[in-house]
Amino acid sequence: MDAIWQNLPVILVGLRLTIQYSIVAIILMVAIGLIAALMRLSKVAPLRWIATSYVEIFRSTPLLVQLFFIVLGLPAILPVNEWFGQLLYPILAAALTLSLNEGAYVTEIIRAGILGVDRGQKEAAQSIGMNGFQTMRYIVLPQAFKRMIPPLVNQAAQTIKDTSLLAPVGIAELVYKGEIVIAETFASFAIWGLIAVLYFILIFSVSKCSSYLERRLQVDKR
Amino acid sequence: MISVKDLHKSFGDNEILKGIDTHVDEQEVVVVIGPSGSGKSTFLRCLNGLETATSGEIEIAGMKLTDPKTNIHHLRQHVGMVFQQFNLFKHLTILENITIGPRKVKKIAAAEAEKIARELLAKVGLVGKEASYPDELSGGQQQRVAIARALAMGPVVMLFDEPTSALDPEMVGEVLQVMKALAVEGMTMVVVTHEMGFAREVGHRVLFMDDGLIVEEGPPKELFSNPQKNRTKSFLAKIL
Repeated sequence: MDAIWQNLPVILVGLRLTIQYSIVAIILMVAIGLIAALMRLSKVAPLRWIATSYVEIFRSTPLLVQLFFIVLGLPAILPVNEWFGQLLYPILAAALTLSLNEGAYVTEIIRAGILGVDRGQKEAAQSIGMNGFQTMRYIVLPQAFKRMIPPLVNQAAQTIKDTSLLAPVGIAELVYKGEIVIAETFASFAIWGLIAVLYFILIFSVSKCSSYLERRLQVDKR
Repeated sequence: MISVKDLHKSFGDNEILKGIDTHVDEQEVVVVIGPSGSGKSTFLRCLNGLETATSGEIEIAGMKLTDPKTNIHHLRQHVGMVFQQFNLFKHLTILENITIGPRKVKKIAAAEAEKIARELLAKVGLVGKEASYPDELSGGQQQRVAIARALAMGPVVMLFDEPTSALDPEMVGEVLQVMKALAVEGMTMVVVTHEMGFAREVGHRVLFMDDGLIVEEGPPKELFSNPQKNRTKSFLAKIL
């Protein structure tokens, strides 16, 4: 127990970093997913190809490999450290890689959500003169969003867990800080246990928020 | 008001419309009848560009629908459409269903759009349902909202695609009543329907379609009592 109390401040710094990376990655993954989903559904073939390649590449390789490749591999052939700074590049690259990876899954969630909206809704919107953008913005997306909440929350939980993969590429967050503490104290059991509990609290509260959100938004299902 | 010249429409190798020629005058109510699969719904959907004609010409209120340079979104504001399945926007209230077109497409101020919407709700007999959601209304009520939604754009012609086919029998009357009132006011209407009573009473002209063509047309009284073509006779014999 002593190991926990004495090192709690360090662990909490790690927790804060994990939360920060999670928030950034979740926001970016939704933005990227929305853009890529609209590209996949576009009438313009090259846009579809780009988005499909993006999704397939990021879904078909391990996140850990992507992180190693972009955070540690890329600087070997490009002077990215000079462009962005030695300290900043790994952080930016890691956050972006994580967002792109999760965004690939979000793309499919959003695409399925959009395709799940009844065709008649789109036709009705067109019949009152709405253009493609207005139809998407005012009719299709609001309806698609409701049915996308459960899978999106699921993906957000996955994203929080995946931030732990930033540790192996040298990004400080919860797992990274834990490893440092364990290296000093040898309190493996207590620290890993604490870290697991902290992840659980974080992710459990996210899913609780979402069930609330889901109930609030189900106006059409009365 | 509407003129259609040699309209063809194919889905892949399947030719649904095989050369439709007709016209609809201002304030005329044209009723389209025919067996299912005859192409009557496809014909109607071509009239507001929900289906793109394979060949031929459609002109509505002076605008060439089949000309790729025509702004289809602009044209559709003038052509109201009522669907078999109502297709009300499920996530919006009844009032919002009616105001969203005027507000977002015609950029009318919210207060003005609401005023129009309330007048239309009164017209279709649904005052008091403003804050309800579509799923809380009966089919007949939903279809009347759908008519109000289309009218809110101030269309010069209204298209009805089997507006009563998805309704329980006791709700058919209330929707036909609203349509009849519209016709009496002088709205130009094209109605695909199986309601022969409506065709007879409200229609100025009936088009009988079969196998992608207009087989026969004429005033309802003549067409129903004295059909000339055999296909018309056998169809009418089955349904009348």
